[in-house]
Amino acid sequence: MSVGTRTTAAETQPSYLADKRGLGEWFSTCDHKKIGLMFLGWTVFALLVGSLSGVFPVAKSLGGRGLEPRFIFEATTYHRLLLLFLFLVPALPSVFGFFLLPMQLGARNMALPALSRFSLRFYVIGLVLILVSMFTGPIATGWTLAAPLSSTDPGSFILVAAGLFCATLSWFLTGINIFVTVHYKRAPGMGFFDMPIMAWSLYLTSYMLIAVGVLFGVVIAYLAASRAGDVGLFALNPGLWTDYFWFLVTPSVFFALLPGMGVVFEVVAGISRRAVVGYRMVVGAMITLLGLSFLTWGVYLAGQGQGQDPTTTLVFSAISLLTAVPVALLTYGLLATMNQGSIAGDGPDTFMVGFLLHGGIVCLMGVFLASPAPGAYLGTTMFVSTQLDYLVWGGAVFALLAGLHYWWPKMVGVEYSREVARIGGIFAIIGLNLALIPRLIMGTQGVAQDMIAFVDGPAGLSELSALGWLIATLGMGVVAGNLYASTWSGRKAEANPWGAGTLEWRTDSPPPEKNFETPPEIEGAYRY
Amino acid sequence: MTGSALLSTWFPEAASTHAASVDEPFYWIYFAAVCFLALFMGLVLIQLRVYRRQDRDQLGAVTGRPNPVFVTLWVAAAMGLALFGFITGLPGFINQTTPPWGAFEIDVTASQWAWEFTYPNGHVADTLHVPVGRPIRLNLGSTDVSHSLAVPALRVNKAAVPGREVQAWFEVTTPGTYALQSNTFSGDGFADMRSELVAHAPVDFGAWMEEVSDIFKGRTLVEVGELLYTRHGCAACHSVDGTKLVGPSFKDLYGYEFDTIEGARVLADDAYIRQSILEPNISVIAGYQPIMASFTGIIDDREIEAITAWFKTLSSKGGAAPDAQEEN
Ligand code: HEC
Repeated sequence: MSVGTRTTAAETQPSYLADKRGLGEWFSTCDHKKIGLMFLGWTVFALLVGSLSGVFPVAKSLGGRGLEPRFIFEATTYHRLLLLFLFLVPALPSVFGFFLLPMQLGARNMALPALSRFSLRFYVIGLVLILVSMFTGPIATGWTLAAPLSSTDPGSFILVAAGLFCATLSWFLTGINIFVTVHYKRAPGMGFFDMPIMAWSLYLTSYMLIAVGVLFGVVIAYLAASRAGDVGLFALNPGLWTDYFWFLVTPSVFFALLPGMGVVFEVVAGISRRAVVGYRMVVGAMITLLGLSFLTWGVYLAGQGQGQDPTTTLVFSAISLLTAVPVALLTYGLLATMNQGSIAGDGPDTFMVGFLLHGGIVCLMGVFLASPAPGAYLGTTMFVSTQLDYLVWGGAVFALLAGLHYWWPKMVGVEYSREVARIGGIFAIIGLNLALIPRLIMGTQGVAQDMIAFVDGPAGLSELSALGWLIATLGMGVVAGNLYASTWSGRKAEANPWGAGTLEWRTDSPPPEKNFETPPEIEGAYRY
Repeated sequence: MTGSALLSTWFPEAASTHAASVDEPFYWIYFAAVCFLALFMGLVLIQLRVYRRQDRDQLGAVTGRPNPVFVTLWVAAAMGLALFGFITGLPGFINQTTPPWGAFEIDVTASQWAWEFTYPNGHVADTLHVPVGRPIRLNLGSTDVSHSLAVPALRVNKAAVPGREVQAWFEVTTPGTYALQSNTFSGDGFADMRSELVAHAPVDFGAWMEEVSDIFKGRTLVEVGELLYTRHGCAACHSVDGTKLVGPSFKDLYGYEFDTIEGARVLADDAYIRQSILEPNISVIAGYQPIMASFTGIIDDREIEAITAWFKTLSSKGGAAPDAQEEN
């Protein structure tokens, strides 16, 4: 079968980008594709600002003068807050949850289109509030907002808390929307096990977004209350904050790789032109991972050195060992899908490889941290903060890039230069590892977490790491520039450039506003 | 060789008996993890090459099921790695959480932004001095926010949190000076939470202890008196501002006369103060209970002299400052 016959949208329908233009339309739109695209823009903006504020500590580590310690702590705080809470957690589920999910389910829009708009608005309000606080009075509490530090900080803490509250509200609304869409908007005849893995990973992530979004919002409000009026839970016992924080952050942050894994499965299946091998095994593994994610928080709490009793630490370490099983099943599924595939070896594959490499490093670092004696020593060192770096840039950014290079033709309807993407991607991978491996060594050498600026560790490591950042930035610049340039290169994309087998490729590139003229017929999750 | 160079850069030189139980599991896991990652990434890259799409319309294999043998092996390998990591790291952890009997105890108080190390004899310092070859137990606490005490060379890293006492212990193997820091961000002055651990050979430690324990060194008699007041907990029962606590205030004590419960009248002079400290219940001041414990064997004559000198400065009948007297 040739690619063209799959298109069910009428030829005459204008694409969602050409239809209804103008700023007002983008502001008030309920179209899931436009909202997904705007989420892409805003989350990448948060990523940029967050990454940029990380430049100051690096400059200080290279001997930069005139940088006061307080300023460095502020920069580090915003660096982490933006990267983790406004990029790592929301980016993948919101960009792909909105842009992709309805198309993968053969639907015309999200189940709650008006709510999609509010997800975006709350996200933007949250981001803006946090950015405003950078000017009115930046906080320097560290990204864990540790109480009682956060109640005495002279910065505009209330603004930051309000910002985070809006952001978590946005997580919650996005989660609800994804959940309801999966339950009610699947095309007629599509069962749960006819959904692509990406849709599954978004569905499972929605549980996390709903639970964590609402709880995190509540505890942040409590924290703000304990500062503003000395009322509530944390005013009575500031020590409790740490427990709540890690209980909520561990699943949302450390398992942000779940939707990333979904992206990579989709990419691998699509470019290999093969159904995911061991589909049910993979779904089962993802469900297990979600369940375990809520049970492993104590490992990081122990690592954060809150002096909990040793038995608790051991129990949590032992539970976290179990995550090895679902992770092994997922990686096996990937390898088996590639096996005997027909792999289109350019475009998203470089980023997929990058994601697997860095995701692998994150998981293996987990083995070091769950090993009791080394874990106790490394738990508060730069070894742990570097795991976060690998998660953000190596995991989420590379998953986003893999997804973008796979769905770009669908999103904007043009082809990018695959050679340039590959070269940029390779530079980004080399640069990132050159930047982060020295930081791992600083960690084992005993440098405190996130304290790159105040290091007198082994000579040359800071310089090497800075050089790595430079190379990575160049590589990322090339990759982003390449995507951007493609929008006016005018090489129009086909409806299904990879010959992939999921529903979103059966409509035009870019799709018309209603995606599908008639609901597509369903034959399993992947049909080639 | 670059391999061994890379290995040796991971940790600072080990200086405690505990270090090996951190380093060895680390290196084993490191070795296994690198092999694992290489195997996985190798399989990914090789398959990307081998199964490259040859022409546009080529499809991948239509059917495919997980191979039960490979799945089992792969899961077993991953689980094995995780379990192995857990088990190799266990003995060191258990050992670290159970301080041996008879360890030399030092109280550690962290605050924004300084360390305070208190030795059994009451000496307080901002650097940590310990003897080599003897287990040291630290009782960690904090007066404000969360801190942690880390000495990378000893592979020690423990929390110091408010409202919870946490214990750490170690035994240093090599004399030397090692960096000591906090790893937990504690606010603007965080960078000042750096100090040193000085490990002495046992003889040197004894000498050091004796030297710094001589509280008369570098202090006037009055200062020593005041130091003893806080160090021996007199402050719990005696104020210095005239307030009546469980015991009478030290303000305007020296040189004044008091009634005892037996109805006698005593003058608070040098001899009386000495008696009140060593045998407090011989003459009990009216209006107070005879509850003060004797300090015989705890406070020596010279120290009583210092306390008396300090009392004089608190009293309007104390006469000229003792330092001035000494000069006469
Ligand atoms: C448990 C509470 C307590 C502590 C601790 C304590 N004292 Fe007293 N002290 C008393 C009481 C009660 C009296 C009055 C009754 C008496 O004379 O025994 C007193 C009396 C005295 C007097 C006589 C006061 C007078 O007006 O005649 C002196 C001198 C004195 N204490 C010195 C000390 C010194 C020095 C220390 C610390 C090394 C100390 N005390 C620790 C409870 C205490």
